[in-house]
Amino acid sequence: MDDLPSPLWTYLTSDNRLTGTWRSALPRHRDVPSPCRGACPVDGHIAEWIGQIRDGDMHKAWLTLVANNPFPAVIGRVCHHPCQSVCNRSELDETVSIRSLERHVGDHAIAQGWRLPAPGPATGRKVAIVGGGPAGLSAAWQLMRRGHAVTLFEASDAPGGLLRSGIPSYRLDKAVLDAEIARITQYGLDLRCGERISGRAGLEKLRKDFDAVYLATGASRPRHLPGLAPDSALARDGLAMDGAEFLRQTNAGETPPLGRHVVVIGGGSAAMDVARSARRLGHDVTILALEAEETLPAQRDEVIEAREEGISLVTGARVRAIEPAVTPRVAGLTLVCEKVRFIPGARRGEFTVEALADSAFDIDADAIVTAIGQDADPGIWDGLITADGALASTGDSWQTDLPGVFAGGDLASMDRFVSAAIGMGKEAAEAIDTYLNKAADHEAVNAPEVRFDEINTAYHPPAPRQIQENRPVEERLDSFIEVQLPLAAEQALAEAERCFSCGTCIYCDNCYVYCPDMAVIRLERGYEIRTDYCKGCGLCVAECPTGAVRMMAEVQ
Amino acid sequence: MKDQATNQRLQLLSGNHAVAMGVMLARPDVAPVYPITPQTPILEKLTELHGQGRLGARMLTPESEHSVMATCISASLTGARVFTATSSQGLMLMHELLHYAAGARAPIVMFNVNRTPASPWGFWPDQLDSLSQRDTGWIQLYSESPQESLDLVIQAFRIAEQVELPVMVNHDAFYVSHAMEPVDVPEQAEIDDFLPPFHKDLRLDVATGRAFGAPADQATWNRTRRDMARAMGRVPALFSDIGSQWHALTGRASGPLETYRTKDADRVFIVLGSLAGTARQAVDDLRDKGIRAGLIKLRLLRPLPGELLRDLLCGHDDVLVLDRDYAPGMGGILHQEIAAALYGAPDAPRLHGFLTGVGGVNVPVRRLVELAEGIGTGDPSFESVWVD
Amino acid sequence: MEKIVYNDQGLFHPGHVACGGCAEALSLRVILNTMGKNTIGVVSPSCTAVICGGYPMTSTSIPIFHTTLETAAAAAAGVRQALEARGEGDTQVLCLAGDGGTYDIGLQALSSAAERNEDILYVCFDNEGYMNTGGQKSSSTPTGARTGSTPTGKTTHKKNLVEILAAHRIPYIATASPSDLNDLRTKVERARDMRGMRVIIVLIPCLPGWGIADDSAVATARLAVETGLWPMVEIFDGRDWRLTHRRGTRSVAEYLKGQKRYNHLQTDDIEALGREVDEGWELLNARLGQGPAGGSGNPQHRAAANTG
Repeated sequence: MDDLPSPLWTYLTSDNRLTGTWRSALPRHRDVPSPCRGACPVDGHIAEWIGQIRDGDMHKAWLTLVANNPFPAVIGRVCHHPCQSVCNRSELDETVSIRSLERHVGDHAIAQGWRLPAPGPATGRKVAIVGGGPAGLSAAWQLMRRGHAVTLFEASDAPGGLLRSGIPSYRLDKAVLDAEIARITQYGLDLRCGERISGRAGLEKLRKDFDAVYLATGASRPRHLPGLAPDSALARDGLAMDGAEFLRQTNAGETPPLGRHVVVIGGGSAAMDVARSARRLGHDVTILALEAEETLPAQRDEVIEAREEGISLVTGARVRAIEPAVTPRVAGLTLVCEKVRFIPGARRGEFTVEALADSAFDIDADAIVTAIGQDADPGIWDGLITADGALASTGDSWQTDLPGVFAGGDLASMDRFVSAAIGMGKEAAEAIDTYLNKAADHEAVNAPEVRFDEINTAYHPPAPRQIQENRPVEERLDSFIEVQLPLAAEQALAEAERCFSCGTCIYCDNCYVYCPDMAVIRLERGYEIRTDYCKGCGLCVAECPTGAVRMMAEVQ
Repeated sequence: MKDQATNQRLQLLSGNHAVAMGVMLARPDVAPVYPITPQTPILEKLTELHGQGRLGARMLTPESEHSVMATCISASLTGARVFTATSSQGLMLMHELLHYAAGARAPIVMFNVNRTPASPWGFWPDQLDSLSQRDTGWIQLYSESPQESLDLVIQAFRIAEQVELPVMVNHDAFYVSHAMEPVDVPEQAEIDDFLPPFHKDLRLDVATGRAFGAPADQATWNRTRRDMARAMGRVPALFSDIGSQWHALTGRASGPLETYRTKDADRVFIVLGSLAGTARQAVDDLRDKGIRAGLIKLRLLRPLPGELLRDLLCGHDDVLVLDRDYAPGMGGILHQEIAAALYGAPDAPRLHGFLTGVGGVNVPVRRLVELAEGIGTGDPSFESVWVD
Repeated sequence: MEKIVYNDQGLFHPGHVACGGCAEALSLRVILNTMGKNTIGVVSPSCTAVICGGYPMTSTSIPIFHTTLETAAAAAAGVRQALEARGEGDTQVLCLAGDGGTYDIGLQALSSAAERNEDILYVCFDNEGYMNTGGQKSSSTPTGARTGSTPTGKTTHKKNLVEILAAHRIPYIATASPSDLNDLRTKVERARDMRGMRVIIVLIPCLPGWGIADDSAVATARLAVETGLWPMVEIFDGRDWRLTHRRGTRSVAEYLKGQKRYNHLQTDDIEALGREVDEGWELLNARLGQGPAGGSGNPQHRAAANTG
């Protein structure tokens, strides 16, 4: 007994007692998707790049952005930002200004002249892309960074598609667009402008010459109203015009010869673009839309800005007939209108209307511009690919029924947003990559998105949202100068601070410092749970400010 | 050397002041003390010596004896030599921590002035206060005189620190505590040789980080008591040895017990504390009358030096145990102790227990002579007998 | 987001037996590592004693003296005095006790150590009851709370220990919460760098004792601060009072509703508790206004140690 240690004085430390056996669930650090990412058409890692802004690493933020979208400066201006609608922060105070932050990074990258990161090793595979709009360019970038050789055929004389021909400069400065496209073309893209790929033979040749083909020809066939088509009498007389053509001309710096008072028919972004462009060219403008104001497909900001600029909106109404003006004018028309109820259909773009009784009214106009949407034309390859109405038919991974041929963008979807087109281009590139017998490296996200109640708001004190200012109305109308002003650097930082970083580890150490059992180890970057000691209390989960740690049931 | 030096070193001291002088010579590091009659002269003398710079200990005066003992234990386990003093109510207030101190193997030396426990209130010599603490694991020593109190308090540190158990030294209220006599106060250098600086291997030490007193399981707790038993078992021989060294140093005897004219005695008194003086005189008077009487003065009550007592007592006809205490329902505590020591021994003497001086009443020599003379040949009473 | 920082030197070891999610173990981790290795701990029976102990193991790298329930401050004084005697005055003495050992049975020893201005840092883990014995009422149990010995709710007030301590005019008193570990660390640092008697009272929501979920001790403590139930203060020399967290404005009912010990309370009970909190703040506000410089004295103040 004498050689036993003293029964009074400890001689071991508690490290010998493995309390991990108490546990029934184990915390796991994992990048859980944020709601904004879930809503983002390009699956953008929003929480991550905003965190990088917060950390002061703009270059890293930009790299995170361009991994999913090579156009942050463009999208930071024109995105319909579904991310902001689902932002968890809006349950605390207000949504984070994600789009403004994206523009902030995108503009900074252009100013700094940053180049896209080097591509992976060349695979020797060749891919043809038809159409140089956002879907085609996005796919081109995603394929090139994976080492594939890409040839892009653009029918017009410059790439950009709708971004160039559809969106006015006051929303998207052409220099910004050029800069972001130039980065892609300089990356090794074989760009063939002015080459239209049409007919059966055109597509077959591509299939022969390339390992895969991506069709992203967009939606370039305008829809028309009876009596207002380009071949109508009114059009011939210069009293009616197609919206896409109007925008093509104005974007090219031309001035369509229309009379003073222009009525724009349509309620989408294109209608707003036409109306506001016309306003900048000195016209009095009225918008006539089927939808009620609150359901206009145009972005809310665009409608507000249009009104600010002195544009009249007549909503929930349609034209029944167009007659010469009752009151004699130089070239006067009278639009005989009626109020309607707009009933959306099951699919995007489908709808029905019911006329309201005794609701007739007239609008006088000098010209009418129709901007009620455009359709794709999957028939230009003479039925080589199957079409579903005005859309190319594709399977889950954007593959047509023609092996090796993929389609996307407006050609294959009614999701007519620029960001959606970029996202589709990315998805198609990933599918093509897989098709080209290379292991897919795109991540699959399965975990449920972070809910507001998973965010510990104690670490997120209320803070006012930083809003991007608009140029004053009186400065807007003289030219096509951009309306939206950028966030100041300190504003961007303050806004980045507001982001909850939902589901994204911000390396704040809370899980480490709050563990009563020293069961969280801090690594160079990230954390590890010591399963020998973790009792599974969940304090690290409760005190995680971003919801990036979750308890996982465990069978021991 | 003691013979030449003695006269120069003699000081007229009360028992309590003699204790304080002994404590000073033992160089304690920490001395927490709470005042209580009749211990207060110890406290005041210590603070006086401290004020004069003659006592280097850090003194503090917590709000109660309970806190005093708590302070003593932790100071001791931190590696300090610790002394305190108390009496009666104070001692009993410490009760919980007396167990704790012994369990902690803290070599604290405490001086207790034996005084009647309330109620009713009383301030008289009676040993029930310390005797009722005899199961706490403290070594208990009893002093007869101021000189012996000084001697024992110094030796107590040697014993305590060698076996790592606390020691309680006791003397009787007033008869010893306040009675004055010439006391030989040794030189500091002599005591420094006799009592080396305190060293404790296992202590609260930031270099090792070992913790004391963490909750233990049954087997471990059991082991602590077996360890204490072994330590207690070493004490009688150790005290004999230390007593011999003390004798060599000072010429004064010490050790677990003292015998007086017991060699051929038929009747032997056994006493604790100041009653020894009365009993010694009674032995002389009885011898003068032709009755072969003797005396054993027990200095060590815990551990009870059972083997020594058996060796000394067996073969004598009668043993008279004098208790200045009373344990209701059982009698004299010393009586019980001696009975236990002798039980089953061949040749065991007849054992007579007497409750003498309970509550501090005077016990004249004559009365003890009468007790010894009056012992019959029949079986003695199982219980102690009240003596008027 | 303000980062929580303390220098974990590994002085508190895993494998201790605190309940999973225990805020006392969490606070202990911060306190031990802030105090540093040159510290001796004195622990009275409490959850901390269990957490630290379990012979032959200890969960701390610093030596711990386990003392009796009522003697924490006295035993700490003994260590202090012994260290001084040994010339090891730079070693800190850290006393760790529960509210039973502080507000109740240990108050006498605490008061004495405070009066003597012993050079110790005394930390009270206040879980508002005798939780280590299964959850009985202490004098720190708040009005209305149900415990094993107040099955219908406590009918008397929680003892105001801060006022009692302030009356001793000791150099430093603070209240703290595991919901603000930076504040706890700062207070421990400040106390550590002072001399004389220092007391920090840390609110410890007890998972089983209060009837709260395993992962909610910190959140509950946060609510206690944000509802004003647990004022966060520092007091220098018993006279210079400061707030380290503004009075929270969340409703007392929000704090109560998450805890089973309060789930028998009726609306008027809750209102009465709200008034009690208001009264507490009236007194506190008066204190805040009456310091030597209107409650804004010098935090660098150093009180002289009792050198015995």
